[in-house]
Amino acid sequence: MRAFKIYAVGIVQGVGFRPYVKMLADSLGVAGYVKNMGGGEVEIFVEGERAAKFVEALWNSRPRAIVLEELIVQEAEPQGRRSFEILKSDEEARTPSNVPPDLAICEECLREVLEGDERRRGYYFNSCSFCGPRFSVMRRLPYDRENTSWVSFPMCPQCAAEYSSPRLGGVRRFFYQGISCKLDGPRVRLLDSSGKPVESDNPVLKAAELVSRGYIVAVKGIGGYHIFARATDDSVVAELRRRKRRPSQPFAVMALDLRVAERLVHIDERAASLLTSPQRPIVLLPKKEDSPISPLVAPGLDKEGVFLPYTALQYLLLAHTDDKFAVATSGNVHGEPMCKDLKCALEKLGRVVDYLLDHDLEIVHRVDDSVLRFTNGVPTFLRRSRGYAPAWIRIPRRLKRPVVAFGADLQTAGAVAFEDKVVLTQYIGDLDNFDALKDLDQELRWFFKAYRLRDPVLVCDKNPAYNSTRLCKEWAEELGAETFVVQHHHAHALAAAADAKLDEPFVAIAIDGVGYGDDGMAWGGEILFVEGAKYVRERHLRYVPMPGGDLAALRPARMAAAYFHEAFGEVPMWLAERLPGGLPELEVVERELKAPKLFTSSTGRFLDAVAAALGVAWERTYEGEPAIRLEAAAAGGRPLPLEAEDQVELFAQAVEAYRSRRPLKDVAYSVQLKLGSILGTWACESAQRRGVDTVAVSGGAAVNDFIIAGIAQEIVSCGLRFIQHIRAPPGDEGIALGQSYMTSFT
Amino acid sequence: MGEVVKLAHGAGSVETSQILESLIFSKIEERLKKVEGGLGIDFPDDAAAIPMGDGRFLVVTVDSYTVNPPFFPGGDIGVLAASGSINDVLMLGGKPIALMDAIIVEEGFPLEDLRRIVDSMLRVLREEGVALIGGDFKVMPKGQIDKIAIATVGIGIADRLIVDRPQPGDKIVVSGYLGDHGAAILARQIGIIDEGSGGGLVSDVKPLTRLMLPLVEKYGPHIHAARDPTRGGLAMALNDWAKASGTVIIVEESAIPIRPQVAYYANMLGIDPLALASEGAAVLSVSPDVAEEVVEFMKKLGFDNAAIIGEVRKAERYRGYVLLKTVVGGLRILEAPRGDLVPRIC
Ligand SMILES: [Fe+3]
Ligand SMILES: [Mg+2]
Ligand SMILES: [Zn+2]
Ligand SMILES: [Zn+2]
Repeated sequence: MRAFKIYAVGIVQGVGFRPYVKMLADSLGVAGYVKNMGGGEVEIFVEGERAAKFVEALWNSRPRAIVLEELIVQEAEPQGRRSFEILKSDEEARTPSNVPPDLAICEECLREVLEGDERRRGYYFNSCSFCGPRFSVMRRLPYDRENTSWVSFPMCPQCAAEYSSPRLGGVRRFFYQGISCKLDGPRVRLLDSSGKPVESDNPVLKAAELVSRGYIVAVKGIGGYHIFARATDDSVVAELRRRKRRPSQPFAVMALDLRVAERLVHIDERAASLLTSPQRPIVLLPKKEDSPISPLVAPGLDKEGVFLPYTALQYLLLAHTDDKFAVATSGNVHGEPMCKDLKCALEKLGRVVDYLLDHDLEIVHRVDDSVLRFTNGVPTFLRRSRGYAPAWIRIPRRLKRPVVAFGADLQTAGAVAFEDKVVLTQYIGDLDNFDALKDLDQELRWFFKAYRLRDPVLVCDKNPAYNSTRLCKEWAEELGAETFVVQHHHAHALAAAADAKLDEPFVAIAIDGVGYGDDGMAWGGEILFVEGAKYVRERHLRYVPMPGGDLAALRPARMAAAYFHEAFGEVPMWLAERLPGGLPELEVVERELKAPKLFTSSTGRFLDAVAAALGVAWERTYEGEPAIRLEAAAAGGRPLPLEAEDQVELFAQAVEAYRSRRPLKDVAYSVQLKLGSILGTWACESAQRRGVDTVAVSGGAAVNDFIIAGIAQEIVSCGLRFIQHIRAPPGDEGIALGQSYMTSFT
Repeated sequence: MGEVVKLAHGAGSVETSQILESLIFSKIEERLKKVEGGLGIDFPDDAAAIPMGDGRFLVVTVDSYTVNPPFFPGGDIGVLAASGSINDVLMLGGKPIALMDAIIVEEGFPLEDLRRIVDSMLRVLREEGVALIGGDFKVMPKGQIDKIAIATVGIGIADRLIVDRPQPGDKIVVSGYLGDHGAAILARQIGIIDEGSGGGLVSDVKPLTRLMLPLVEKYGPHIHAARDPTRGGLAMALNDWAKASGTVIIVEESAIPIRPQVAYYANMLGIDPLALASEGAAVLSVSPDVAEEVVEFMKKLGFDNAAIIGEVRKAERYRGYVLLKTVVGGLRILEAPRGDLVPRIC
């Protein structure tokens, strides 16, 4: 008779792994035990005639919520056990395991909600071992009911029976820590915007009716509140924009199911599988010509952000609206983190919404919806949060010491890292907001503790004005920890390498809005040769003045003025109309252009300038707005023969083409494609000079379809390997991954 | 070439603190940072103090004034040089009694202009009853100095010092509109307003004797900190306070008195009005129980726009932050102003 001790690492806690193991063991008639270890991993002991068969089965098939990264199997002494048991968690830490992300409701659970027995039919919080909230309700590790928000909901006798008996519970409910039913689960309440309860037989149906009638309703979900509003009514969407002080940033639309979503956007097979995945992200997809959605939902854009319900509550809510889809945008006010408790919702959303659909399952961790798009055919993260975070990202090198990485500053995330694992936090947001900064601090502390880390090295960006840099310094003082400072684009480059498991010298194209350069200038269109902790700035977009610093990012016409000045030696007067300060402001800008204090090689600022010069965008009311609008304006465009050695010449060419009445979409398309090929050519030259065969692209502008297509064409045609992001976001949310990876080279 | 001194180093900003720390503060022994029992460069404040042995303090301050242009809407460099040092003495709780000056002029500077400037300075001293007890006068060859620079030493006597130590619970009180001086100078420098008309931008430069002496007399022990928010404006003053006291200071954006024209020009230039200098305003940290009364008292003294703008809170973590409560209710981190443009918006 043989026996084995097995350690499983991956996403193995909180995803039905233990009950699955128990049922597998029972079906094979082997004895032993399974238990969660304190740090997160799972330990299994099996003995019996078919113990080897058990190991094989474990490796080969399992439910899709379980992700096995590693299975360490050791031969062991038989213990003479008679049955297979799930043992109480052990506090001892071994190899730490993944904190499971939140999972969308599975098909079986939804079926129960729609046509199951009395206890689960119409139950808004139905979930099982393979679905439901996880990270968002987790107070500490290990994942046991008493360590989650579910502790406030003692099981009813039936749930208790299902929980403790494999026969009654089945693999989906047996030992499921979040088990609940209508009898014992959280309650839903409808409130008006002042917090007064609204009487109704069924608050969810009532909320659906209110949305259909044009009211704006906050709905508590898994990681925070959404704001639901009718998407087909211009006046409702306009009112929501007014109340949220969000003039044009696109809203996401939640559609009941794929069939409904297909009426709104073009969905191919890959998009469909993303939309229906357990991660259930928002996916940006091309709008349908005859889409019933108000044009105010994503004004000026050719794509709509669409996602499907991930809780029974959301499903039932949508099912009872007239439209079967609705705006479902995050419940925050401009620039602030999304609300996750009623106090915040009443305080901050009270002026935005008419009603609140609330429930009493506490959200421990705020988790925003994830957002993906297709760039150059590859699903690319615009935001990696619910469903993905905080699953770790394995890197190809081992870290000598644990790392805490503080990321960038806007639209950012942090990370803790150890061994060969980088745990990127969920999306944190803009750190000029104090609540977001506190969130970053608290989440980093939470992960640091959850993974039982000690003596970390700290990593932050080089930008002295970043609040993340400030927080990093505070940690350094508190812990007396060694601190590394990594240049922004070096971190972007290393993030791309870590993402692709690349551990050799490479050339990187780092393109984004801005990163603090070694020379104090605003970098953002960089060709770097990267050898681990060292890099050489091989080439960059030509320096152009950046009049007023950040003001030039907020007011694209300032950058247009800078580019006109650089390309033609003069600034057209009509730009004054596009500046809030009018002619006096333009005069200030011109004076600064004659004696510039700050220069930039930013790709984002170039795109801003082009967008302004072509009349595509004058304002930036959300991050990247001019660039995003420029990309949208290029949809369906055809290539014009633009000849330019650098982006300043390219700007001049684009302006000339536009003046000679070439179609806007052709000009917009060509300028982005050509920018890509200029960068691609530079990267090829650099790679050949350095004798490396890989070019990676990263940075916030690396989500742009046309630029990436232009780059990829050049890289491939000069025979090099081209890498773009897959597992981590190219934008500043990925910075902490690169920062962490950097320390492995020190 | 090695590192060089940059304009940002002298902007009264984060960079200024850094260069001073490395050049001076870190190099001088603790015992030489002050006169025993007094206040010196060991503590960031407006002025220095030396104990006089009878329980009172001699308050001393020095400042050099270079302003381009020397004449600006609302004043000139003469008024500025006199008022600035008088105000610094006042902000430490002192009664100004004497001033010394050092004037350096560029060869070829119009004598008439110099006369106007010195007359302005003397007028302030006369009105405040402050003696001019010494000075220095030099002329530099053309091109070796930009027009004129004046340094003044302010001297006063204090019964008790206001050493800037805001207490948790304190209210932050300002005496009136902020940023007027900074906005007027900046607008003149970049030529968007002419001398005279001013586009509604007028420097607030003035001595604050009429405000501070009665205030200190009546509410002295309740005033835990006092500043005239000159270079770096309110943002700098509050950041200094929060850092030094290990507290968090929260200010209500909508409560801060800023003139619409100041807000307009600041916005156009991309500058936070809270980082603009005032030369005739005071910021106080006051016990909550008398804060309302203090504001009323200030109004009676003619400071009609005095207001409570925020409060000091005890902090366990996140010490030293200054937070701006925005009109929509969010908390924005108000940083100490930087002299350099450091872009961070992606
Ligand atoms: Fe970036
Ligand atoms: Mg003081
Ligand atoms: Zn399920
Ligand atoms: Zn139950």
